[in-house]
Amino acid sequence: MYERYHIPMKIVEPRAPRIPEFTISRADNCINCGRCEQACIYGVHKRSESDPREMADPVNHLCKNCFRCVAECPQRALTMSNGAEYCSLGRGVWTPLRISTIWGEAETGKIPVFGAGYSGMFSGPHFDGMWTDMSEIVRPTRDGIHGREFISTSVDIGRLPLSLQFTPSGALRTELPPLLEIPIPMVLDLTRLRIKSEWMIRGIASAAKHMKTYVFADIDSLTQDMLSDYGDCIVPVIPPGKDVSTIELPNGTGMVELTVETSWKNDSKTLLSRFPEMVVSFRVKARKGIEDTVLEMLDRDIAVAHIDYDDDGEEHGASKRHASESLLAIHSKLVSVGRRDAITVMAGGGLAAAEHVPKSILCGADIVSLDKALLMALECRDCVECAASSCPVDIAAASSEWVEGRVMNMVGAWRDQLLEVLGAMGIREVRRLRGEVGRALFFDKLEEEFKAALVGGGRR
Amino acid sequence: MTSSKDIHAAAYPAIALDPSERLRFMNCHSVTRADTCISCGMCESLCPYGVHRRVEGHAKILPPDDRKCIGPSCSVNYFFCVANCPTKSLSVGPSDNSRSLGDPRWPADVVLATWRMAETGKPMSLDDPANCGLSGGGFDELRFVLPSKKTRYDPEDISVSVDLNRRGTGEKITLPVPFYGGGMSFGSISVHTMLARLKAAKTWGTFICTGEGGYPALLVPFKDNIVLQIATGLFGVREETIQRSRIIEFKYAQGAKPGLGGHLLGDKNTPDVARMREAVPYTSLFSPFPFHSVYSVEDHKKHLDWIESVNPKAILSAKVSTPTDEDMVAVGSYYAGAHIVHLDGGYGGTGAAPEIAKKNIAMPIEYAIPKVHRFLEVEGIRDEITLIASGGIRTAMDVAKAIALGADGVVIGTSELVALGCVRCGNCESGRGCPRGIATTDPELERLNPPDWGAERLDNLYTAWRLQWCELLARLGMEDISELSGRTDLLRYRDRPAKEVGR
Repeated sequence: MYERYHIPMKIVEPRAPRIPEFTISRADNCINCGRCEQACIYGVHKRSESDPREMADPVNHLCKNCFRCVAECPQRALTMSNGAEYCSLGRGVWTPLRISTIWGEAETGKIPVFGAGYSGMFSGPHFDGMWTDMSEIVRPTRDGIHGREFISTSVDIGRLPLSLQFTPSGALRTELPPLLEIPIPMVLDLTRLRIKSEWMIRGIASAAKHMKTYVFADIDSLTQDMLSDYGDCIVPVIPPGKDVSTIELPNGTGMVELTVETSWKNDSKTLLSRFPEMVVSFRVKARKGIEDTVLEMLDRDIAVAHIDYDDDGEEHGASKRHASESLLAIHSKLVSVGRRDAITVMAGGGLAAAEHVPKSILCGADIVSLDKALLMALECRDCVECAASSCPVDIAAASSEWVEGRVMNMVGAWRDQLLEVLGAMGIREVRRLRGEVGRALFFDKLEEEFKAALVGGGRR
Repeated sequence: MTSSKDIHAAAYPAIALDPSERLRFMNCHSVTRADTCISCGMCESLCPYGVHRRVEGHAKILPPDDRKCIGPSCSVNYFFCVANCPTKSLSVGPSDNSRSLGDPRWPADVVLATWRMAETGKPMSLDDPANCGLSGGGFDELRFVLPSKKTRYDPEDISVSVDLNRRGTGEKITLPVPFYGGGMSFGSISVHTMLARLKAAKTWGTFICTGEGGYPALLVPFKDNIVLQIATGLFGVREETIQRSRIIEFKYAQGAKPGLGGHLLGDKNTPDVARMREAVPYTSLFSPFPFHSVYSVEDHKKHLDWIESVNPKAILSAKVSTPTDEDMVAVGSYYAGAHIVHLDGGYGGTGAAPEIAKKNIAMPIEYAIPKVHRFLEVEGIRDEITLIASGGIRTAMDVAKAIALGADGVVIGTSELVALGCVRCGNCESGRGCPRGIATTDPELERLNPPDWGAERLDNLYTAWRLQWCELLARLGMEDISELSGRTDLLRYRDRPAKEVGR
């Protein structure tokens, strides 16, 4: 029986007080006439409960910046300003807007839908200077999430055989390498979280289990309980320095991850010979020349190259190439040797918004791994200094059910937005989005064409 | 042949001069008076704008009315209050209100300038910074290369009209202004807003598209100025509505949500709206995408033939978004028989759209116009089709830039709403809809904007825009706005690498 993949979502209220995007201040010349209360349709202005002769302080987080109260105040006593705490949230690609969008997605599980046209910058660096294509009428298309036709977001993890061979009697001769399939091109990565409690690990693992995807976790942070509860969705990550010739792996997903260090070539040989039925992933910090490292991994039959970018999605070290360029270089290199599908490319770091998922895949990743975004779903304020003891939202104390709900809401909303993009492009499965740069529009190229077009103009 | 100029020059309405206090709340600059003020009254006697006032007989001076202040640029004047205050108690700077109004595409300056034009009908000067947004690309980085010498001209000698029909079939329609109003459906905006737009359109002899929700009987008297939109939901499309419309627009896609169908969230689907759309009240209405009757350009022709058989005089427009192959789409539309190809760029307005679609799907209109214009020229069909651009066209100068890039005319939408008092807060989609009564179906909120008041503001805005175009054309030595089309040589592009553009 065909079963449609679905991520169940329900409202999961925030634990911490909301951070208002706008604040309204009421000056001393307020005469408590109550005109603001009548004007505001969001309930920002209310009379004081203890003394109905006075207006209470505005409930700023309900304010949506419509200026009705400011305009209608007969005393001109109200002033609208941008919320100071809101404006100071995050850094780099983690802008206040992106962080608060994730909070909203994690709360409701809904795609952010608002009125009025786009209000941001014309373009921007990297992913912001990239548009996805859409199909007008010509290609057979579908109805996105609202319709009947199915869009697949399933992806494979492992080395896909590039061809199949059969014996004369018709039996399969090709030896099939271990292969896994997940229904969304997103995995959850706990190893990069700055802070984690047992409840968080359990909550996120449980979310992964419900969504049938994988969670990457340090092998040492896993208890026997966790493994028995969520073992089939946990990918143990072996930290650098462990002796792989003696290591014992828990039964479970059939996948294991190591880190690329000087001895990785020997490690991989040992591991592959000891666990031939396992999908072996290697995590590598993206640096200059990452495409050659991935090529070497390919030559050593490693199934997954898990590429780590920094929190802004850039390469480590001096090169600072962004994932959009770097992934494209890796993808092109693999295509040029004719073996693109013989390795799975997984990219993590700098994924701060739903649109970064289809854009990473367009640039050549098969799968993205979500890290900091998970913390954001748990209301992380992205403080510069981070410690469990001083956490403003006391993230470590959150219950595992709450964590699970928030994470599923966020991932679910991101998947629905991926479906919107795929639907608009007329692509019916996410596998076909990978590396499809012909269906993306890049700022630099458009700009070049635009400037060329400006030169040629003249009287008609 | 008489030119359209002769027909319409007399028809431009006089500027209405009925200022509306309601939108004069915004103070761009804040003037603060410290406690050290001794109420000497020097500032009151100096300021010609009336910022500082003392009520007769009062010892203390009133708090400054900084709505009237012209800001720190006043420092060049001898009467600058801050410099002249004997106790140095006054200071002036940007106000919090203006900092939280608007966004890079619609900065506070542009919103306020649009309000000012809607109130006074007076044009902005061509070098006013409020002619552009601050989004760092596209129209905002394009400038006209103008001769420095100003010329005397009479606006009556300059034509800004545009022919919508350049083919042998259908009614000949000439707009006296190079724009018509974009599709906003009954359900997304209030009946008062629709009426205001239509009244202004009737005065100016242009059109307003009613979007995909059909329209109430109240609007039938304006049928000569209505563009009927046929969108994928087919709401409000009936034989009689097709027969009474002079322009029929097929909405294949919308720039703000290309590849997605229309969204009307349940809250705004009131019983009246639902009746018009033959739907259940308070359910969310998501139109499908695409037309399931159109999977090829041949199917598109079938669509146009359908309308031609119901209303042979109607002129047909294909509204499409801006994918990579939009030049091919435009050519296909021409050969299928469309009179107008309407390109809607990604940064266009909407009553509700997923945020991910607004920025990330399909390219901005600035890139699309020259591409399609050139392609149609190479195909040799440019002169037979009207190229209309929309999606992020905010000011009169944006309109002129779009035309210089290769369009014949434009479609506007958000600017009209801003003229009616929109502050671009982006909350049109849910609950009671627009708190300012523009994009709402709430009967109480709707009453905030009487249709006649709105129509007058739009008249004023159009007047101001027309005068701006006239000045621009006069400076460029042109008499007709059609001369401007495709004149990219008159534009200068301040280019910056992508890495420097951004938030």
